[in-house]
Amino acid sequence: MSVTGPVASRIPPNRVIPALALSALVLVWLLDLGTIQPNRIVAGTGHGLLSSLGWIGAGLVTAVLAASIVLSMVPLARRYLLLLGLTGLSLAALPLLLEVFASRHLPEDSPYARSSMGAGFWCLLFLLSLMLIEILGRLKTRRSLQLMLLVFVCGSWLTLLRSDGLESLSLVREFNGQGGQFRQALWTHLALAFGAVSISAVLAFVLALKMIRNTAWRRPVLGAVSFLQTIPSLAVFGLLIAPLSALSSAFPVLQSLGIRGIGWAPALLALIAYSLLPMVRNTFVALTEVPESLADAGRGMGMTEGQVFFQVKLPLALPVIIEGVRITTIQAIGLTAVAALIGAGGFGSFIFQGLGQAAMDLVLLGALPTIALALLADALLTMLAASLKPTSARS
Amino acid sequence: MRLWLPPALLAVVLCGLSAAMPVLEPLFRWIQPDKQQVIYDRGSFLFLLQNHLLLVVISAAVGTFAAVAGGILATRPAGRDFLPLVSQVASIGQTFPPVAVLALAVPVLGFGEAPILFALILYGLLPILRNTLAGLEGINPAVREAATGMGMSPLQVLVRVELPLAGRIILAGIRTSVTINIATAAIGSTIGARTLGDPVIAGLVNGNTAYVLQGAILIGLLALTTDSLFEALERTWDRRFSPQGAMA
Repeated sequence: MSVTGPVASRIPPNRVIPALALSALVLVWLLDLGTIQPNRIVAGTGHGLLSSLGWIGAGLVTAVLAASIVLSMVPLARRYLLLLGLTGLSLAALPLLLEVFASRHLPEDSPYARSSMGAGFWCLLFLLSLMLIEILGRLKTRRSLQLMLLVFVCGSWLTLLRSDGLESLSLVREFNGQGGQFRQALWTHLALAFGAVSISAVLAFVLALKMIRNTAWRRPVLGAVSFLQTIPSLAVFGLLIAPLSALSSAFPVLQSLGIRGIGWAPALLALIAYSLLPMVRNTFVALTEVPESLADAGRGMGMTEGQVFFQVKLPLALPVIIEGVRITTIQAIGLTAVAALIGAGGFGSFIFQGLGQAAMDLVLLGALPTIALALLADALLTMLAASLKPTSARS
Repeated sequence: MRLWLPPALLAVVLCGLSAAMPVLEPLFRWIQPDKQQVIYDRGSFLFLLQNHLLLVVISAAVGTFAAVAGGILATRPAGRDFLPLVSQVASIGQTFPPVAVLALAVPVLGFGEAPILFALILYGLLPILRNTLAGLEGINPAVREAATGMGMSPLQVLVRVELPLAGRIILAGIRTSVTINIATAAIGSTIGARTLGDPVIAGLVNGNTAYVLQGAILIGLLALTTDSLFEALERTWDRRFSPQGAMA
């Protein structure tokens, strides 16, 4: 790792990380790191970096950010690995700042007092994540390493948030207050989103096959599914209420199944309608784009049409189909949150309850897991698509 | 001219229905016989429509300006270091559900029009930014070299060559962004913005299906009108410039 002339000239200084770290440094000193509320409703008092963490903590935060600026400027061959370690560890240890803050400022005698994260903390989290993305991009790391890093950071956050020191954190208080409802919301959310994605995947597959066999189906099907996608979610949920409640009052059988104007039934229907466009489009494009020469090669080897489809076309089309599943899943996770407005449950119910009661921590308890689910689904499905991509079959 | 007929017709239906909703009272009374009030009256539909449109137009204008400026900066030699990060952020950001972004804006900015405008701008910016980058990066380098070889300055290359070539893709990004924002602005009535989502939310809270229908129909019509407007714009663009062979 000796710094010699030619090596130094080959490694240009990185300008992105200093810019990010410098903004983090300015913001974390200017904004409040955390706030203390006497109870759930009363507005809290904010504390800056120095007041929150004391000289040692504030010095440590400053030193880490300064170190990453220096590291990104020096022409060291392995600086990105060092930066990766530094940023990854800082991100993983970030809740410790809140723990120190709570231990310094939380009044001992009031059991309802709660600490929460301030704007400075959110900025620090956001900018550190951007630095991590930049470093991972420069290192050109493999997906599996990125996923391991994600698991490490998330695991550390979950462990720290469950520890006794952070029991006073408003988000944790809110979680404990909801008790079993959080788990219930998670399952409802997952069931609705993945139910809609799987049903629409089957429907889309059938439709795509029809469109391939029969060209007359192409325009009307694509037109219909993109029309559905254009109508805003709230309108679709609203428009389904009247017909479904009419149906369920006409047929008591449906009522006993739980199919009513509000609840999971209109939510699932709307989610399926929304999921169709990306699914149908990607499945259709994927299957039609397999070169006919490859199918011919299969036929030449004596494969039947069925074998050509399942052993040649489908495996080649799979990465693009999975990409459609990825887009659909992310969209469905977001729309399921909206479906809470028509009583479908899921994390959206925390968001809208929190908005109704002006309880911001409850809003966060709904919004953060929704985002986490979307990011997780994105990461997993991107990895799956990448691993299915044939390496040499396509040129 | 025939191109502009569908958006014009839809716009007439949208405005007409917003103004004349009370005329349809018998119809809604038939749908919702057990409620005294069947026409939403806490704000005229025209006012809600206008406010909804205003939010979407402002966020689209600010978002387009910021995203195109950002996209241009990140593809110039001076800003190229930032390109990988900017394009990563543009794609990761779109993973965030719009409702969650809307919800997160409230603790920071409070209730009302400010957080929704902030969320709409921020979220609407991402598809435009992504398409701007794709459009500018997709231009065949030979075209840029030819323009430079003809003696154009970097600014002239940008304005006369790169932006017209990338324009069609940027326009598609604006279309995506506006479609999402019309939907998100409707949900914005849960955080106190006055939009066409108001009747839907009020109807859901009071169990009044007539209110829900009135809001939902107008929101759907607004989305269709806007979408057909963009369709016409894109077709017109295609007729005027057809950049065959210029894209790599």
